[in-house]
Amino acid sequence: MGFGSAVIPVSVITGFLGSGKTTLLRSVLRDAAYAGSAVIVNEWGDIGLDHELLETSEENLLGLANGCLCCTTRGDLARTLIDLAARRRSGAVSYHRVLIETSGLADPAPILHTLLVDPAIAEGHRVEALVTVVDALLGAETIERHPEAAQQALLADRLLLSKTDLVPDTGALEARLRALNPGAPIMRAVQGAIAPDMLFNAATKPESLQAWLDAVAEPRARHSAGVETISILREAPLPGVVLPLFLEALAEHAGDKLLRMKGIIHVAEAPEKPAVLHGVRHVLHPIEWLEDWPSEDRRSRLVLIGQGIPQWWPARLLEALEEEARG
Amino acid sequence: MNPPALRALLADSLVLWGVTGRSDITDQGVRITANDLVLHVVPASPDESPIRWWLIREDRRRPAASMLGLLRSLRYALNATSAEPARAWVSAAP
Repeated sequence: MGFGSAVIPVSVITGFLGSGKTTLLRSVLRDAAYAGSAVIVNEWGDIGLDHELLETSEENLLGLANGCLCCTTRGDLARTLIDLAARRRSGAVSYHRVLIETSGLADPAPILHTLLVDPAIAEGHRVEALVTVVDALLGAETIERHPEAAQQALLADRLLLSKTDLVPDTGALEARLRALNPGAPIMRAVQGAIAPDMLFNAATKPESLQAWLDAVAEPRARHSAGVETISILREAPLPGVVLPLFLEALAEHAGDKLLRMKGIIHVAEAPEKPAVLHGVRHVLHPIEWLEDWPSEDRRSRLVLIGQGIPQWWPARLLEALEEEARG
Repeated sequence: MNPPALRALLADSLVLWGVTGRSDITDQGVRITANDLVLHVVPASPDESPIRWWLIREDRRRPAASMLGLLRSLRYALNATSAEPARAWVSAAP
């Protein structure tokens, strides 16, 4: 599915308290291509400071205070995005992208959920990337002590190590992050200095999907705290009718246990155009069709990251539906 | 779908729904024993098309045209539905 110019990309910057989210955002907004972004900052506390540190036009900067985006202010986020879009349509504000900085304690999953399920939001926006900033100095300890930090790393499209100038060796932290989220490239930045396109724009490219699938499907990919990776590999093309049935069953029966799902599918009726599947919990994107395969590998590959999903249930379900479709 | 494959999928489904029970292969299909109930999943014969599966509880027979429908009926019969209504949200493309 292509994206019209009216569809605004939305990226989320998350990371634990003090990890360097605002520093990154400030740096991103200095890039000419990102300077015209609408920025939504969620600060947890009575006095918001972060938004004061951002150099962007006032009308494009919105603060959501007194609560965390993933819980109390989710409705505010929806309303803010809808209001922004209305103001954009009326010409009151101008922007081509939305950047959301979460509070340090936010769980990104409900935020993604909010962005995806509200028809009024989903109609004019697409989720582009979830970037998680990890403090190179304190990140390993933080992940061990705070489930929120682990969840932020687990769901990221891109992991950005900050403050790397303070730590000569980040090997142990990187190994921990790879164990949590083998599919997300780990990048490094000092004072937020990194090309924003590497963080945001590249995350939705087919090559990124390919890399994610390759990394996550490796046997060494294992998570902690009951989080498991389930990989499905199919040599034979799948009948197209199986996909919606499979996604519906997945959402209905495993949606509450599914943290993330991505896949590239060889559909029998469209062998030259692979179908791309994305999902977060029971939120499933419409099937996207690529113009071409990102590599020579034309097998269907589906990777699910979840908690409490029996290892073989998705593959067995797919097999049953496939058999029904073949009659 | 052969009986071992059907039994394996149904057994996994019980685990997924948090239902403690057992599933056994029988002459007709698969017997599910859980939540003080005994249910039978039986493949429909080809002349019953488009029905593919029967879910049988005592003398009541519920048809299903697909595995999707069968799982839904079975979960409902076992009273293992989640607190929130299950639905798939389809969002704008990423």
